[in-house]
Amino acid sequence: MESSTNSRRCNRARGGFEENILAILDATDSKHTQDANDDRIAFIEAVRAASVDQDDGAPPTNKMYEAVFQIMRVGKSLELIMESYLLLNELDKRFPRVYLSNKDASGSSELVVVEEAWSPFVFNLDITYGEKESAVKSYCGTLDSSVFHLLIQDIAEVVNETDLQKMQIKSLGKMLLFQYLINVLEGDFVPRNKAYEETMNWMLLRESLLSMLLSSRRINYKVLVKDCLSIMCGLGQFNSELSDDLKPFYSSAANSSQNVNPAIAIALPEVRCSTCAAMQKLLTVIMELDMSRKKADAQGCTTRADGVRTPLLEIILDELTYDRVMLSQFLEIFNEPKWKLEIILQYFSKYIAKPSVRTRRFNGPIEDDGTLSGVLKGFSNITGTKNITKRISQDAVQILLAHAFQAYLSLPSSQQEAEGISDSKDKVRSNSLVEICENVVSAFSNLKRTDHSRCDAARWRFCLSEKKLCLQQQVFSQQSHRRSCLNDAGQYFLAQAFMLM
Amino acid sequence: MEMVNMDDPLDFESEDQLLSSPVINQKSRKKVIGLDELLTDYFKEKSKVIERECKRAKAKKNYNSDEDDGGKEALLSRKINECRNQMREMSNDEEISTWGVQVFGDQKPPPPLVFPELGSCALLQSFMSNKLQTLIEPSIENGDNFLEGLLVNGWLSKLVSTCCHVEKLIAKWTFNLMLYSSKEELRTSACDFWWIILSPENKAEKLPIRIEWFPSYSDLQRALDTYGFLFTSSSHPKLSNMDSGGRGPPKNIRDWIKFTTACCLVRSKQPIFSASEAEELVKFLICLSLDRQLQGLQVLLNKCMQSAISYFTDKEWSTSCEKIARTLSCRIPMDLNCLRSVECISGVVTRSNNLRSAVSYQILLACFDHKVTDEVDILNMLISINVKDKNCDFFKMYIYLVLTENWLLSNPSLELEPVIYEMWGVFLRNCSCQINGTDLRSYASKVRTKASYLLHGTTKK
Repeated sequence: MESSTNSRRCNRARGGFEENILAILDATDSKHTQDANDDRIAFIEAVRAASVDQDDGAPPTNKMYEAVFQIMRVGKSLELIMESYLLLNELDKRFPRVYLSNKDASGSSELVVVEEAWSPFVFNLDITYGEKESAVKSYCGTLDSSVFHLLIQDIAEVVNETDLQKMQIKSLGKMLLFQYLINVLEGDFVPRNKAYEETMNWMLLRESLLSMLLSSRRINYKVLVKDCLSIMCGLGQFNSELSDDLKPFYSSAANSSQNVNPAIAIALPEVRCSTCAAMQKLLTVIMELDMSRKKADAQGCTTRADGVRTPLLEIILDELTYDRVMLSQFLEIFNEPKWKLEIILQYFSKYIAKPSVRTRRFNGPIEDDGTLSGVLKGFSNITGTKNITKRISQDAVQILLAHAFQAYLSLPSSQQEAEGISDSKDKVRSNSLVEICENVVSAFSNLKRTDHSRCDAARWRFCLSEKKLCLQQQVFSQQSHRRSCLNDAGQYFLAQAFMLM
Repeated sequence: MEMVNMDDPLDFESEDQLLSSPVINQKSRKKVIGLDELLTDYFKEKSKVIERECKRAKAKKNYNSDEDDGGKEALLSRKINECRNQMREMSNDEEISTWGVQVFGDQKPPPPLVFPELGSCALLQSFMSNKLQTLIEPSIENGDNFLEGLLVNGWLSKLVSTCCHVEKLIAKWTFNLMLYSSKEELRTSACDFWWIILSPENKAEKLPIRIEWFPSYSDLQRALDTYGFLFTSSSHPKLSNMDSGGRGPPKNIRDWIKFTTACCLVRSKQPIFSASEAEELVKFLICLSLDRQLQGLQVLLNKCMQSAISYFTDKEWSTSCEKIARTLSCRIPMDLNCLRSVECISGVVTRSNNLRSAVSYQILLACFDHKVTDEVDILNMLISINVKDKNCDFFKMYIYLVLTENWLLSNPSLELEPVIYEMWGVFLRNCSCQINGTDLRSYASKVRTKASYLLHGTTKK
């Protein structure tokens, strides 16, 4: 931000603006008339002018924050929702609640927590409301974990809604609210986690909003995660209803269907896309938290007060194992390379590695499981490949390998050498990209030679009919085109990469 | 108020002929809905009176019953309309309007997306000679589908970043898919592809990607033309207010905005636009912000605006900023839209402040039909408005107030001129103290509240 003479609106009052600004809202009450909405917009503009646009602007007071948040939550017009969403994000960027200061001469940073800062979350563990009561209560102010879960459930419904006409501004509002909340969670967690890595002070993370949210007893954590995954996979689908696949180019959003609000039709792909990114962010920070938690556990820093929570990665693996459609959907949409690779590697090690290998890990010779090259070694000959495809279907193996390779290539090269997440990694064993490529190519050749595709396909069908999920089968057939592209593409790419190395 | 004398048959007959077709002005009917309740009540009373009068007239006419029902209806509706018009005059255009301009008209057919020569691109050909051809043989036969698969699954970008080279065919093909394909999956993937290949490479060990073909400004403009954007041709008159809801942009507009953002971010790598072309882009973006149908893309539009105004070099910016403001002021309708066009210039960096200030200033000049020439003139004009006058147009006052606020408070160079600030203070005091508290027109109170709030800020200093 430029400093110097650029003190836009520095003539504004620094203190005592709350009353004046809130006066703009006074007359509006709960009406949703155009006039009242105009006043709300004027209010948002005034808050922005007083806080964000000034170089030396003070953060809004809690009342003002709450009023803006309220406008976003109950807003009935797209304009109100967008403007309040934008403002809240700008305010968070400008006045972070938690940040790392860099004043230390030694270069180490210190975590600064602005205790009095407004937050959309309130986790008051002392008070126990009835479920319903708390939901109602917190719908009018800040929100707690159960309301957060309700929001996720609402979005899960919205995401799978194929009828554009049923898409309301309210649904868009919910997705934007979710995105804002994730920004808040992330903004709170990331600096804390950095500080934790430096200081190993678990308290910093225990007090993070994310940790408090997840350890709350008002939510069923596993159900929450499952809902999150289904949202994630739902968002990745370019629904033929929602995208105008069959319609000609010139049928603009406006007249493609009479009852569809054109503003919603245009906004929807973007909002879905950003919601998906937010969901990925949520999953990623939870996994980061789990990893730090593991460290803290190992050091004995955690207490019973921290509760027990299954690591997210394990839940994801369980979900993906039992739902092959979800496996490909999830991997297509989740593109954070570090965690994507980790998920796939864990998947392999869960179904390939023998238990004995794991115990030997600490004293025996260094094992390769848990790295991509380790996994690829399993495919280095026909016998090994056959063994694996007995446990994991050839189809799934191809998907997993192709995505693992893609994730590996997306990693910055410094991380490629120390690929994977586990801290027990031996960094000396740096596998050059060429080696990885060669191994992937041979893995695919071996897969091709142990062509189980025919019997696999049969098993597939059996699986599906067994689950008697006709719906799923439909989705699967929609997917099959993309999947085959993916596998082809994977093979194609390997070859190309190999040639260039 | 002038009422028609119902008892005068001659007068009535002449009026009747004038309005032989019973037209009810739908537009004005809609607008009345937004009026203050007070006015609604007032209107209800009025129309009752007229109805009664009509009935009386009808009763009188009954004995020479040569009149048809349509005529009576016409009379009635005419009276109602007249009454409404008078009321609107009284309330000084009080109807609550919203911003919103129709910036998209009829779309044109898009260029063909099929590239027959795509199969011969070097990328595919390099494979046919590969020793691993057997692995991929079955899929390579239909090049288009195969490449689409690569694109959608994200392999294409991996591939080109491995060989650090994007050939012309691939670049053109993906560009067209992005801006003209009706398949969301394809256009989104193509847009991601361009973002990746345009993104500035910060990894030192990696070579920059060599892109054989870059789209130019005219390619972007052509796309907007195809979408039906009304603002591209310089000859086009002022934008008009939104009326029909039927037309609108195709969904590709989202990818257009994203792609333009990416293009503006890579000037150091590849200067795609000239300064005057970038000026046009900024103007397009402001116009796009005026379309209510694009409200949901506000986040993207803001990002794009910020990258577009940071595209200019410092040297270009001062003149370009002026030029943008001047052309815009000739085209933006002088209603709430001009406020919107100022407020959509987001960001707190110096340049967005410059632009916001310049646009506000130019619009103010245009508001006064360029009868004023400098800053002091404008403020003199504003101070001279008598807010106690019953005919004072508070809607206009509100626009002046917001524009002046943005003009003065976004402009650091004016801060050093005490005269201007003093005059601004006088204007604010006029608005906050002199407007009659019993004036119930909504913009009167809006002006009052806003001015007091601003005044509070100025005096607190």
